[in-house]
This record gives sequence, C-alpha cells and structure tokens, in this order.
Amino acid sequence: MEPWTPDWTKSPHSMGTTIMALQYDGGVILGADSRTSTGAYVANRASDKITCLTDYVYLCRSGSAADSQIISDYVRYFLNQHTIQLGRPATVKTAATLVRELSYQNKSFLEAGLIVGGWDKYDGGSIYAIPLGGTALKLPFATGGSGSSYLYGFLDQAWKEGMSKEEAEALVVKAVSLAMARDSGSGGVVRTVVINEQGVTRNFYAGDKLPLWHEEIPRQNSLLETFTEAEPMRT
Amino acid sequence: MVRVEEPAKGGFSFDLCRRNAMLEKQGVHAPKCLKTGTTIVGLIYKDGVILGADTRATEGSIVADKNCEKIHKLAANIYCCGAGTAADTENVTDMVSSQLELHRYATGRNSRVVTALTMLKSHLFRYQGYVSAALVLGGYDVTGPHLHAVYPHGSTDTLPFATMGSGSLAAMAMFESRYKEDMTKEEGMALVAAAICSGIFNDLGSGSNVDLCIITKDGVEFLRNFQQPNPRTYVSKRGYSFAKGHTAILSTKVIPLREQVTIEEGDGMAE
Amino acid sequence: MAYWSPYDNNGGTCVAIAGSEYCVIAADTRLSTGYSILTREHTKMCQLSDKCVLASSGFQADIRALQKNLDARHQIYQHQHNKKMSCPAMAQLLSNTLYYKRFFPYYAFNVLGGLDNEGKGCVFTYDAVGSYERVGYSSQGTGQQLLMPVLDNQLQSASPLLLPSKESATPLSESEAVDLIMDIFASATERDIYTGDAVEIVVVNADGIRREVADLRKD
Repeated sequence: MEPWTPDWTKSPHSMGTTIMALQYDGGVILGADSRTSTGAYVANRASDKITCLTDYVYLCRSGSAADSQIISDYVRYFLNQHTIQLGRPATVKTAATLVRELSYQNKSFLEAGLIVGGWDKYDGGSIYAIPLGGTALKLPFATGGSGSSYLYGFLDQAWKEGMSKEEAEALVVKAVSLAMARDSGSGGVVRTVVINEQGVTRNFYAGDKLPLWHEEIPRQNSLLETFTEAEPMRT
Repeated sequence: MVRVEEPAKGGFSFDLCRRNAMLEKQGVHAPKCLKTGTTIVGLIYKDGVILGADTRATEGSIVADKNCEKIHKLAANIYCCGAGTAADTENVTDMVSSQLELHRYATGRNSRVVTALTMLKSHLFRYQGYVSAALVLGGYDVTGPHLHAVYPHGSTDTLPFATMGSGSLAAMAMFESRYKEDMTKEEGMALVAAAICSGIFNDLGSGSNVDLCIITKDGVEFLRNFQQPNPRTYVSKRGYSFAKGHTAILSTKVIPLREQVTIEEGDGMAE
Repeated sequence: MAYWSPYDNNGGTCVAIAGSEYCVIAADTRLSTGYSILTREHTKMCQLSDKCVLASSGFQADIRALQKNLDARHQIYQHQHNKKMSCPAMAQLLSNTLYYKRFFPYYAFNVLGGLDNEGKGCVFTYDAVGSYERVGYSSQGTGQQLLMPVLDNQLQSASPLLLPSKESATPLSESEAVDLIMDIFASATERDIYTGDAVEIVVVNADGIRREVADLRKD
C-alpha cells in the first residue's frame, strides 16, 4: 500500500488572500489579512503579506508565497542599489515598473498578484496594481487575492476621493474584515501600513477584535468555553 | 514556413521533469527515495531557540532507519531540521553549511540566520519544488534568536513556533494549545518534546526517539535521544539458532588462488 | 486530484501456527489509513466456531462484511446439520465466499486457524479471491514480507527444493510457539509502520480457546 500523502506536503504555499490599497488625502493605506494556506491547512495564521521595498514604498503580495517573496526580494535589492546610485529615494513608479517588468518577463513561471503602494515627492501617494500577466495599473484604490471578488462593489460604493487618514484606515479594516468573513482563503488578523510624507506606520487588528458581520459567530479560544457558557438543560 | 520553438529565456530547463511525469503516467516508476515522513518543530523561548525532531526514516511503509538524525548543523550558531526526501535535506543543508563557512572567511563575521535562510530559499526556488526539502531553521545571531520555516518551493515563514513534515499537524496541535511567550528553558524543552511525541504516536510516518537542540547566545546544547519513549516490547529468552541447510547446495567447486597468480618479480606475500 | 476508490487498506499483520495438537492465531490491533491511526484496539480476529478462528487484514469494511456473511452461512449450516462446522469445512466455505466475488473481491487477506477433525492443528491461508492451501504456518498483511522468512527459518520448513518435504505442523511446543509469535510481532512493529499497539494471541487446543494480549510499540 502506498501511504497516502496529504496534498499539503507537496503543493506549494499559496496565499488565498485579501489584499488592498487605497489613496487618501496625503498618502496611501495598504491592508491585508494574514492567512497562508496549503490546501485546507493553514500553514501560517499570522503572516505578513505587506512587504517593505524601500523606506516609502511597500508591496502587498498574493498568489504563490514563493513567487511573490522572490519578486519582492529582487525588487528590494534593485531599489536599494538604485537608491545608492541615484542618491535619492526611489519613486513608487520606479518600484512598480520593476515589479511589472519581473512579472511580465517571467509570466509563464510566476503566479503572483501584487499591489505596490507608497509615497514620493513627485506624485504624492500612489498605488499600482500588478495582476497576473504583468500589467501595471495606476489606480486610486486596488484590491487583490481571492477575497477581492467580495470587495469590488463595496469599494465602488464606499471609496471617496479626499478621505481623511482615519476614514481611510477604517475603510481598509472594514473591507478586509468583510472579505475575511466570506472568503475561506482569507483570515487571521488585519495588518495595515499607512504611508505619507511623514513616514510609515504599521497597524495590527487582532482577529478576535474585528467586527462581526452577518451570521458570524464570536471567536472562541477553546471549545471548552462553549460548554461552560451553555445553559444547563432543564426538563 | 517552419515555426521554430523559441527556447525559454534564461532559467533552468525542466524538460526532464516533464519527461519523468510522462513516463510515470505510462507506468515507468522512478526509483523510490528515502523519505523522512517526519515530525520536526522549533520554538523561540526566553533565551533562544529550541529545535526538535523524531528519528524515524521510512521507505514506503517500511522503517528504513529507527534512529536517524534529522537536526543538521549549518554553523556553530545555526541548526536546521529537515523533512522530505532525505537526500535533498542532507545535500541542501551541507551545501548551505559550506557556503556559510566561505562567507564567514570572506566577511570575518559570524553567520546570521537570515543569510542561511536566503541561501536555502534561493536554491529551493531555483529548483521549483523538485528539490523536496521542508525545513525548520533556527539559530541565534548578533540580532537575536530566529526561527523560520522553509518550504520546498522556496517560500519562507518567520514564526515564534513552527512545525513541518507529515506529523506537523499533530505537533502544531500541541503548540497552538500550550505555547506562550517567554517560556523558560525547561518549559520550552517539555513543550517541544510533547510536540514531537504527538507526532511520534499519532503520525505513522514519525516514530522512535526525540532529538532536541537548544541554541542560545552562549552556545548550543545538542541532546541526541533526549527521550526514548519506544523501547522494544518483547525479547524472546529462547534465542535463535540458524540451522545449516536451508539453501540446497547443488554443486561445489573450489578454485585455489595460488594457481591463478604468478609472481614475476619481488617477494610474494607472506602466508 | 485522486480518483475515489471503493477500497482502502487498513494495514495490520496476521499470523497462524499449527502444532500437532494446538493452533496459535495472532494479529496486531492497530487499524490505520494512510499516515493516520484510526484506533489502537481493533481486533482482526473472528471466532467462527468453537475450533476455528479467522484472522484478516486488508480493508476493514470488507472484512466485517465477510465475517458477517460467514457467520450467517454457519448459522444455516448448524440448522441444517445440527452441528458446528469443522475447520476444514469452514476453510472451503471461506474459499467459496471469496471466489463468489471474483470480479469485485473482498479486499481481505485471511488466515484461518483451528483444529481439524483429528484434533491436529491446521492453518489455511488465502488470497483475496479464494485460492487457498492448508499449511503448517502462515502470515498475511502488511508485515507479511518481514515475518515470512523468519517463520520459514524457525519452523523448519526448508526450501521446497529440498527433498523429501517435511511435515507441515511445527515441532515447537505450544508455549514456544506463543513466545515466537510475541517476538516476531515485536520485530515486525519495529520495521512496519502499520503494525503495532498490541498483539492479540488466540490459542486453540483440546481444552478450548484461550486469548492473550501483549503490548507493542505505539509509534
């Protein structure tokens, strides 16, 4: 008998993901969930899918974990060199172009959907979505990953030009948590990165502190809690 | 007009992998590899990192080695547990270990865990998952304690606790229920051993003994066979004798060696 | 995506040894699938009559169906003949039952042990579709490849190339046979991942049936 080997031992890690980015008045906010899965197994429930490229440019990763990590490693390396040669910070557009170039030239080997977001003194806060084939789209807001399909309509309605930082971050957290509630590939915590002229702020929203959406059940740390909380049966 | 297939620009050719998959479909089977259906784990505690592994190596459903070593040394301060194809884990860790040594000579500094991590992931990514090594990498360097999980396709995770191999779910169950930050050495060792034992007893691919490796700022404690929870259950007092004659001798021919060799010069060997 | 299969292999090892006036039948108690243990205390044995015990490994669901079928057939036999089936008769019934499903076989590998009409130990060994043979000892299941050479060596049935052929019942005493079984199961457990947890040993002799259980490695 050939012992059955579960698929997660062989299949690559993919990030069934919710990632997003949006512009606000003065900068950008990136958001992501934290689930990395192989098949049905959650290989990492607290992953960081928002990777640093330079001091002012960050990258949201979705798709194959290996592919998106290698792309971000290369782009970070190129941008560091570029920054030294240029003597001033790389622009978001430069970063996005490098990501697009790697995605496009190696499109048959890669499976990575990426969103570049950041701030520079020429364009202010800007966002580039670079989906599977290696095209780069400059957008005021962008979503990606398996959870994104739950968000298009919501963001079309909820996004407004010239939002304040607080408004925008609340919207990101709301959107990602909505997608996490519906998409089995997304879950865990919400991570955000706020980038503006002043620099970068990372925020973290614990999974059990997120709002509960329609028909969601409060998170339990232990099944035992459900037993102790239950009312004793009476006749 | 003749259409010429353009070769892929750069990178490796995986034509043989495709050929092998095709042959397998036609019923030709590649030689079986020694797989370490494994439980390997690691966690970060107050003063450093603890790695753990079981010691069973399997070949299909047969136990090929009852007490193998799955914790490999990469550098004095960096160790690595390997799961997957035994040959791949051993060769990848050996390669990185020698690269790290050269890197130390070139830089004159102690190795860092991220360096090992980058070397491992770039090698594994280059081979697109065909080098099946799943690793738990742990170490203590100038930037503190580090623990990483490395998957065969080249993706990596940075975690406070990690498990790998066929017993990873059994082991992760222990970590998810009992892990807390800043554990003492004793608490950490007990939890790692419990996680490995969970794999040993509940996963058929894992078994035999528990190996531990504790890495701190001050050095490494390698505890080979820290626990031996599976002694042999019964030994016959009778002993065995193996009588001659179980194989029929059909004919006998003796060739004296002396007649086959002529010594032309020098002395013959003393008898 | 793997295709669905009506079969599974739940692993395990069965052994039977016949002596001149006893028969020892043994099997481990682990039930598994893939890399998982389903239970550590599942008997692979089934007592079919007062002098006849069946040990089976393979697919547990098929084995259970086979046992129920044999039980039912035995019940009918008792009503018709007003006596229990003899072990050699049960052996023939088992063969017929297996062959009846020639083109959708029971995924069951059986060893039948007991006492024959003269009170001598007998062992019958089967393939999945009913080919069978009376032998002095046999093993079936995932540990078969490991155990068979040891049994061949210890029970003195030399190579079939050697003539004259030897008596099939082992010269070992009952306690020696039980000791040998305990030892070979401990050995099989060391090297076969599907064998373990405990070994159940059933001894059939003139006094009746006796059952012992010994621990095995649980990893």
